[in-house]
Amino acid sequence: MKKDGIMKSPFKLEFFRNFIVILIIFILAKLIWVVVDTLWLSSYGVEHKEETSGKGLYYRVKLSTNEVPPPPPPKAKPKKVVKIAGSIRDIKLKAIYSSEETTVVTIEYKRKTKILGLGDVVNGFTLTGGGNSYAIFVKDFKNYRVDLDESKKSKKIYDSIKFSDHKQNSIEKKTISPSVNGEIVDAGDHKIIDKSLIDYYTKDIESIYKNIGIRDLKKDNKINGFMITFVRRGTPFAKLGLKRGDILKAINGHQLNSYKAAFDAYKNASNMSNVTLVIERKKVEMELEYEVN
Amino acid sequence: MQVVKNILLIIVTFWFAILLFMPKIDIYYTLENELSKQGIEINEKSIGEGVFSLLLEEVDVYVQGIKVVRVDEVNIFTLLFYSSLNIDAIKIDDSLKSFIPGTVDNVVVSHSIVSPFKVYINIIGSFGLADGTIDLTNNIVRLNFEDSEKLNSIKKELKKDEKGWYYEKSF
Repeated sequence: MKKDGIMKSPFKLEFFRNFIVILIIFILAKLIWVVVDTLWLSSYGVEHKEETSGKGLYYRVKLSTNEVPPPPPPKAKPKKVVKIAGSIRDIKLKAIYSSEETTVVTIEYKRKTKILGLGDVVNGFTLTGGGNSYAIFVKDFKNYRVDLDESKKSKKIYDSIKFSDHKQNSIEKKTISPSVNGEIVDAGDHKIIDKSLIDYYTKDIESIYKNIGIRDLKKDNKINGFMITFVRRGTPFAKLGLKRGDILKAINGHQLNSYKAAFDAYKNASNMSNVTLVIERKKVEMELEYEVN
Repeated sequence: MQVVKNILLIIVTFWFAILLFMPKIDIYYTLENELSKQGIEINEKSIGEGVFSLLLEEVDVYVQGIKVVRVDEVNIFTLLFYSSLNIDAIKIDDSLKSFIPGTVDNVVVSHSIVSPFKVYINIIGSFGLADGTIDLTNNIVRLNFEDSEKLNSIKKELKKDEKGWYYEKSF
């Protein structure tokens, strides 16, 4: 095939030229990205590492004193529970602290407030045990159950019993949030927190912020504890013994040096049976001990 | 005409080459590193790259070391002049459910070169539907919520005006 005496190549020059242009563009784009990647981009992501404090399990051991504990009163085996019968009506249950080891109640009898321990007798009725909201008395081999004073419940008043060495000494009544159940009992060297209180506050974070203010305390851009900015009077937080200006340093041996440490403490609060809080008050470090029941 | 055609062809080819060779995973890792400096860590079980997209699966988001959410799937799509982020099944960590009410099933965040200073957001969650914008000039996020009974759980976080319930925050 001849045209004007020139042989036409079967290879299209225009196609070849376009291919070269596209190739150059691709190489250019690749080069740009190689430069960008080398200079500014990272080839490795961030791997989250769970912080481990390396601390073992926390135990609080209370060494017994030389005092001989009083013999435990015989626990009456419940045969038949009679609710509010006879002169038991004269006894009004105002507050109760009950655990596996002991039961302490505040009652009103003949317009007088009395605090009873296991085995104590009032009006011929012997205190033998109790639950979260009731006490069991025995008289003439019959069990009598006395529930917490309903009128007090409806007024949203909860009693807080203070006692030491199994002897009670004062009662204070405080009005607290209507939906908060449970109380904090001062047992001398430590305080006993009703578990229901912890359960309540772990489920409702807003009620914490209403009653206590906590902010992080930074030193050299690192968290060095959490400072209490206010504690509302009469709230369980005030009863814990916390004061404005206290710095929370550690809980159960775990340093509160990150938001995660603080959050973990909050998250695990409902599983704690003993709590030791290390605080700094007026530049003095001290420990606050709590038992959760 | 031929010249214009050739220029257009070169631009389209260059655009395609840029997208094709874009080191999407490295760009994502760079973003991860930058976020970690702000205390936000993103961990994903798998990461896959497409011509126009990046797919992350089982993504955990940590803020200050605290696990906040797990997302089943995140699809990042870009054509450069239009980009979108599709987040499926956001599960708030159990420990935070008392802080953050409701669940989020799907979030679509999109950006177009037509309105370069606005990012559009569409959310489907247990509270119903919400849409809004991120105003990049005034640094304001505004989400408008469809009024329904489902909205009750988060109403305390919202404000109301003549258009209905909305959430607004400046950053």
